[in-house]
Amino acid sequence: MSKQNRSLRQLERRDVLKAGLVLAAGGEALGAGYAAVPDAFARGIYAANREGLHRDQVLVMIQLAGGNDGLRTVVPLQDNRLHDLRPTLAGASVSGALELDAQVGLHSALTGIKALWDQGRVAIVHGVGYPDPSYSHFESIRVWETGDPSRRQVDGWIGRMLTRGYDSAGHPLTGCACGATSTPGMMRDVGSTVAVIQDRQSYGFAEDDLEAIVGSVYRETPGIYGALFDTTVATLRHTIAELDQALPVSQDGSDTQPSYSQSPENQLAQALKLGAQLIIAGTGVRLLHVTLDGFDTHYAEKDAHDQLIGFLDESVSGFYAELAQHGLASNVLLATWSEFGRRPGENVTGGTDHGSAAPLLLIGDPVRGGRYGREPDLGRLDGDGNLTHTVDFRSVYQEILDVHFGTDPRQILGGSFEPLPFLKAT
Amino acid sequence: MDLLKRWPTRRAVLAAALAAGAGSAALGVLTSRAWRPFPADRSPGGWPSPLHTERGRLAHLLRRATFGVTQEAMEQGLQDGFDRTVDRLMEQSAEPAGLISPSDPAQGSMLALNDLQHWWLRQMLSTPAPFVERMTLFWHGHFTTEYQKVGYGSPFIYWQNLTWRRLRLARLGPMLREVTIDPAMLQYLDLSGSDASDPDEPPNENYARELMELFTMGPGAYSEADVKAAARALAGWSTPPPNATVDVVVDEQSQATEPVDVWSQPLTGVFDPGAAYSRKVAFLGRTGRLSLDQVIDQILAQPATAPFIVRKLWRHFLSPAPAADAVRRLAGAFRTAGYDVRALMRLLLKSPESVAPDSYRALVRSPVEFMVAAALALGAEPDAAAGLIADYADPAGQALFQPPNVGGWPGGASWISPAEMLARFNFASALLDQVATPPPAAHAADLHLDAVLSAPTAQRLRAADSDRQRWLVVLTSPEFNLK
Repeated sequence: MSKQNRSLRQLERRDVLKAGLVLAAGGEALGAGYAAVPDAFARGIYAANREGLHRDQVLVMIQLAGGNDGLRTVVPLQDNRLHDLRPTLAGASVSGALELDAQVGLHSALTGIKALWDQGRVAIVHGVGYPDPSYSHFESIRVWETGDPSRRQVDGWIGRMLTRGYDSAGHPLTGCACGATSTPGMMRDVGSTVAVIQDRQSYGFAEDDLEAIVGSVYRETPGIYGALFDTTVATLRHTIAELDQALPVSQDGSDTQPSYSQSPENQLAQALKLGAQLIIAGTGVRLLHVTLDGFDTHYAEKDAHDQLIGFLDESVSGFYAELAQHGLASNVLLATWSEFGRRPGENVTGGTDHGSAAPLLLIGDPVRGGRYGREPDLGRLDGDGNLTHTVDFRSVYQEILDVHFGTDPRQILGGSFEPLPFLKAT
Repeated sequence: MDLLKRWPTRRAVLAAALAAGAGSAALGVLTSRAWRPFPADRSPGGWPSPLHTERGRLAHLLRRATFGVTQEAMEQGLQDGFDRTVDRLMEQSAEPAGLISPSDPAQGSMLALNDLQHWWLRQMLSTPAPFVERMTLFWHGHFTTEYQKVGYGSPFIYWQNLTWRRLRLARLGPMLREVTIDPAMLQYLDLSGSDASDPDEPPNENYARELMELFTMGPGAYSEADVKAAARALAGWSTPPPNATVDVVVDEQSQATEPVDVWSQPLTGVFDPGAAYSRKVAFLGRTGRLSLDQVIDQILAQPATAPFIVRKLWRHFLSPAPAADAVRRLAGAFRTAGYDVRALMRLLLKSPESVAPDSYRALVRSPVEFMVAAALALGAEPDAAAGLIADYADPAGQALFQPPNVGGWPGGASWISPAEMLARFNFASALLDQVATPPPAAHAADLHLDAVLSAPTAQRLRAADSDRQRWLVVLTSPEFNLK
């Protein structure tokens, strides 16, 4: 099928689905009952706001959960202080690095991403963080999710974009967390509907009665969780219905393609596989969130981190190759994020404790390959022994919002940040 | 009520209700029993509260402190009254059957995750003391530990469950001491193996940070220097070495055996002075060579600690938004009582806030609570139901011994996602397939949902044409998923 045909079919499906939903949702949307349920998850999802985002761009946020060690991901090759700070970790890390230039190399397991780098499809942003960093996983995750270091904002930055830029009620698969069971904080917003699919095989009702029952029961549910319940169950029903059309679960398993990874432990490979299937099937998915867990490497870091970085590499490589094979890679941008980097100095147990700034990887055809920002100075650690960030993480979000999605970043981020031109102008 | 099937009519009804100022016009109430009509003391947009009746309060308490309402517990509660029922909960006690046979200690070193999950779920489904399980589940999410990191081949996480249930209502001080030297915790948060004997080598900070951030005080109540100081003061505690050797069959055919080191009975961590820090530290305002007990004393002396624990328990048992003045009041009482968790739980459950109208259905049942409650409501056979719950717990978002991370399960709105709700619905369906003869559904909404139903639930329940369908409506309803 040509690319043009696909996008046409895609459009039709979207329109059909939306028309169906508007009819089905009419009563709920118009019912004055919502005014009688004045809770946080206001029923704003039915108010379509289609300003701004017109292009069919896809963003995949890859969470490296636990705090990824930036100094073992993008390795400084010339700085001897690394060996002083990390007597057991630095040696193999530096000698095995895949050299990008005289200054830095990628972790030895990032062979697939190195190949994409050689094609100009990888941007590295050095020293990303935020002022007065928190060393708490949960506080720092929230900062990254909301895009707000002052910790007042509660909605996720992608959730805000979803609500502002897309008619999510008409198209509940616009935002999707793959391989997860709970909604990622980055995608949460009072007005956004987000699909959460752990795996395609189990994403269906066990019996027809269930669909009918929950479809009729989850309406105008009172209480503080009422609207969240109703929105969630409506999203569930509509996304199952759409997937049954667009991506049916095969009865005989013949459409099961090989995974990107040999290891059943590689949760990221399975999640990205599902993400690729959603894109290829023409579901119209735009914002994907996937997670690779285990980066909190306080203890015996070397083997654990090597394995995780290998998982990242094979998953991303497989995902890119599959989209490219279908001629769908040109609009898809992948971005890694992690709540913090790790302490430059290793601890007595061969691991590293919570740190601050770390590099991010941006991967895909929309990227203008190269290194951006400035590497933090290993000679100028702060009083706690941590790096000082050189790039505000919101500069990265800003570039994605502005260039990839063509929307006004100030509307989402509440301010302007240092420009960081890692994407090709469109 | 049939008029509500068509939305323009519903619209008109709702508009009229709005005009009349009634916030809950969309609610229908099954008319079969008790506490009707509801008084006006309902939160805006909330469920009409039955908590002005003794039966309503008891049902509310049983859902929050046990795994739901049973006929027997309700009858006992009506005899005893609400206050006495809370006291009785505090006295509940029952031990699960041991998972490791004393005659075969090697079992303890080969515990599969599924065996552990099944063992605990079976206890939840069959215990006469469900409050013990609810408190143990609370602590499992608070002082959380994950099976995989503790490691296949050790009984530590099983021992931890036994320890948490023993300490479920203990004083916080002794509890923190045992938490710190609990072998599974030593392994999970890396204190085991840390070494501060060389002042130039930084010890592992993992446990020291989470002890303050997640277990006792919350972020912002301590400095990075306090984290480093505690990491030094606590270094030296490690997991206990195996204390027995047994012969294990390694080849079924030849019955050949090999000696394997095992742990034959629960042990605590061991202290190696050679790995300890030999100098003074400055920790939370106290300077000296601090022992484990002194570290804990310093934490208990901080004003942040009591309110932190009160808020955590409040969010688990009372409502998502603890009121500041009530937290102050309870935190003061908690400290005065020497951080006695039993005294705090009694105060919490008897507090006016716990039966205030706006606390009614203000909490989401966790996936495990939901599934156990459903199985008990249907009278499911514990072994079979435990297996089914273990299968659905992961997709529903709460696999026991597998918390998402060191923060445990965040609860509340995080329990409500498309994937998680789907798992709950499909579980209800599978459970109804498993239970051959469920109790008659006629009174299910009365007993389990207080007969307080939204109009759509009430309507769907009336439309159901079989007991199976009625149960499916009750178990999948928003009402049953709340507490």
